[in-house]
Amino acid sequence: MYVAVKGGEQAIARSLELLAEARRGDPALPELELAQIREQLRLGVARVMQEGSLYDEELAALAMRQAAGDMLEAIFLLRAYRTTLPRFGYSLPLDTSSMRVRRRVSGTFKDIPGGQVLGPTYDYTQRLLDFDPTAPAAVTPATAPLPSQMPRVLDLLDAEALIERFAPGDDAEPFDLTREPLSFPADRATRLQNLARGDEGFLLGMAYSTQRGYAESHPFAGEIRMGEVDVLVCPEELGFAIEIGSITLTECQMINQFQGGNGVPPQFTRGYGLSMGEGERKAMSMALVDRALRCDELGEASYAPAQNQEFVLSHSDSVEASGFVQHLKLPHYVDFQAELSLLRTLAAQQSATPNEQPLSTAGEQ
Amino acid sequence: MNYNFAFLDEDTKRMLRRALLKAVAIPGYQVPFGSREMPLPYGWGTGGIQVTAALLGPDDVLKVIDQGADDTTNAVNIRRFFARVAGVATTEHTADATLIQTRHRIPETSLRENQILVFQVPEPEPLRTLEPREAETRSLHALADYGLMHVKLYEDIAQYGHIATSYDYPVLVDGRYLTSPSPIPKFDNPKLDQSPALMLFGAGREKRLYAIPPYTRVESLAFEDHPFEIQRWEQQCELCGAGESYLDEVIVDDHGKRMFVCSDTDFCGQRRAEASA
Amino acid sequence: MMLAAFAQPVFDSQRTFRELLQAMARPALPRTLPIVPPAPAPIAPAAMAILLTLCDSATSVWLQQPDEEAMRHLRFHAGVKLAQRPEEADFALISDPGSMPALDVFARGDLRYPERSASLIIQVAAIQSPAAGKGGSQFAGPGIRDTATLHVEGLHADFWPQRAALAEQLPLGIDLYFVAAQQLACLPRTTRRLEG
Repeated sequence: MYVAVKGGEQAIARSLELLAEARRGDPALPELELAQIREQLRLGVARVMQEGSLYDEELAALAMRQAAGDMLEAIFLLRAYRTTLPRFGYSLPLDTSSMRVRRRVSGTFKDIPGGQVLGPTYDYTQRLLDFDPTAPAAVTPATAPLPSQMPRVLDLLDAEALIERFAPGDDAEPFDLTREPLSFPADRATRLQNLARGDEGFLLGMAYSTQRGYAESHPFAGEIRMGEVDVLVCPEELGFAIEIGSITLTECQMINQFQGGNGVPPQFTRGYGLSMGEGERKAMSMALVDRALRCDELGEASYAPAQNQEFVLSHSDSVEASGFVQHLKLPHYVDFQAELSLLRTLAAQQSATPNEQPLSTAGEQ
Repeated sequence: MNYNFAFLDEDTKRMLRRALLKAVAIPGYQVPFGSREMPLPYGWGTGGIQVTAALLGPDDVLKVIDQGADDTTNAVNIRRFFARVAGVATTEHTADATLIQTRHRIPETSLRENQILVFQVPEPEPLRTLEPREAETRSLHALADYGLMHVKLYEDIAQYGHIATSYDYPVLVDGRYLTSPSPIPKFDNPKLDQSPALMLFGAGREKRLYAIPPYTRVESLAFEDHPFEIQRWEQQCELCGAGESYLDEVIVDDHGKRMFVCSDTDFCGQRRAEASA
Repeated sequence: MMLAAFAQPVFDSQRTFRELLQAMARPALPRTLPIVPPAPAPIAPAAMAILLTLCDSATSVWLQQPDEEAMRHLRFHAGVKLAQRPEEADFALISDPGSMPALDVFARGDLRYPERSASLIIQVAAIQSPAAGKGGSQFAGPGIRDTATLHVEGLHADFWPQRAALAEQLPLGIDLYFVAAQQLACLPRTTRRLEG
């Protein structure tokens, strides 16, 4: 005798127990401390903060531990927490020109004021697995300290009027994607906000496609800088700005070719990327995709996926994408039954009238 | 930390409530809303959950079903969520509920005027598979230009001799907006027409919500020579004997033997209880 | 001295919302608001219940009679933005319907976004559901089974003709909340007033 499946509640409870056990692993080993994650997995922490849209290293570390290192799950956890936080106000725009730089490279000039600063990078590590990591040697002190402020490379070009200009303050009040739905066409500030929250892997693939002919924009890495930037707020009741702390940021300004047009003299154009923490791959990908998405504004032919803002912005978010792809594992048996029943009807009809072929649509002939 | 009653903060509830009232005032039209990130994944009912959270009060009795059943894991999880964040009473009995959140079914038991049905919607745009661009579909709705859908249905008839849509079967609400009834089997479509209960639809990932008010004309698209028809089975439910309910097909042994049972577990259970009483 | 608002904001606004939702879903059927908070004139307590339930810093409210005390009360309790002109309003409070502006002054949305339209809260002298043949107007449309009869007292003579003219622009339109004492009745844009 068949009995309808019951016990969903109990199954969930058991599954949660198994998950907790699997997450913890061998209990003989000490539990990871959040400080260890924060200090030793800092690039993971940065990604979770960036795509989770919440600058909090401690919470990002907690999310990573709870998610057993699944970054998309950790991002989801942080987002779900973030959405419940009250909003006390908005910071003033961050001034990355006053960044206390720890890394700064430019692909466009051999030397630049302040110099090329490699800082902590995997770029020249030779990628040999280090089977015997030992305590790092003490860092050799620099012969001269880095200047406290370094001009941005693009500002130097700007002085020559060879690169497009954006007057500060021209932008309208930015729209908050976490409070209001995206609508199309989306302006650049909204697009950048979406890309900033977007999945690094998705943006990387999109950016890569622009380098392979799908919206080639002849990019140069004008400048990539990483370091600390102060966060200022201006409470209405105070009437002046106060510093509430500083955060680590990675900024990428791409310089792209532009032939001129729409009444504009030939000049370089820009693509912009910004990421919390050390997130260079993300910032660079974002800058390339940002530039590709400016095709309409710059009067360029739009044909490639990376130029299609509905395509890019609607599919960039890992929390949305992951949820919807994985929802297919939920039961769909009611709809499947509907399809079965339809197919049986169609099959029965065919076998009942074998000589009468259904009409084909024109497209199939 | 403490979450607010029903998880969402009051600003978010007000935003949802304003959008819901506009949705009711413009039947079948998809109102964009500032969908929040919920602690359940997108695609798993975040739209329905937000609508329910905006409606829910301490006096409500909540029922949650998925595939018609109260005990499927996702339904259990959503019911658990609201019991935890709102402390509301829950029920499995359609007749006892004031609010019913559903995925993929409309209960067999007729709903009453003082009940509200909340649908979880994965893709609110009925034209999306025919036209992926939102800017474009929005214009088509503005012009009530639904030729694309009629052509699609007509091509089905040309190719298969039937309209080959068996669930999420498009409807025209109050003669104006083409609307997705969510992926309910077309068997349930007639229950949308002139329903005594208000029906609300939430699509969290797509950030849209819409409504079908009570006592509103809801037509399933059809052609004069191909009228709309619902699924029928030769079998009856093997548990309660119902001949008019939507049936699930269950494979019961390794030889592929099938049996058919009601998809609506509460309906089936009530009938069996009445029969044995 | 500032008057209080809802005593239990979370639950009072939830209960009020459920009445508003049913009122909008079942047009022309008077309902009783469960809680009416104190309100400074010219805002009626029933209108105040609606404003507190639906409005905040994300909405703009236009007051037909912009009394200083009333504006301060709304800003304090709901944090609303006050609209200077009726066409900017998400919500408009009509406290003297006899002299209200023409309905077509208010935002009706656009065809791509018809929800970007005004909601009017109209304080009238009385709302009644008279028995058949005892006066009132007949209404039909979504949410109404067959027809509903409603009498709204205190509107000016042009009101119904103005509203009928707007119906030609459907799905654009404005949505109406009538309040009198603790009574509420809604007329969304889709509700038709039948002749006679």
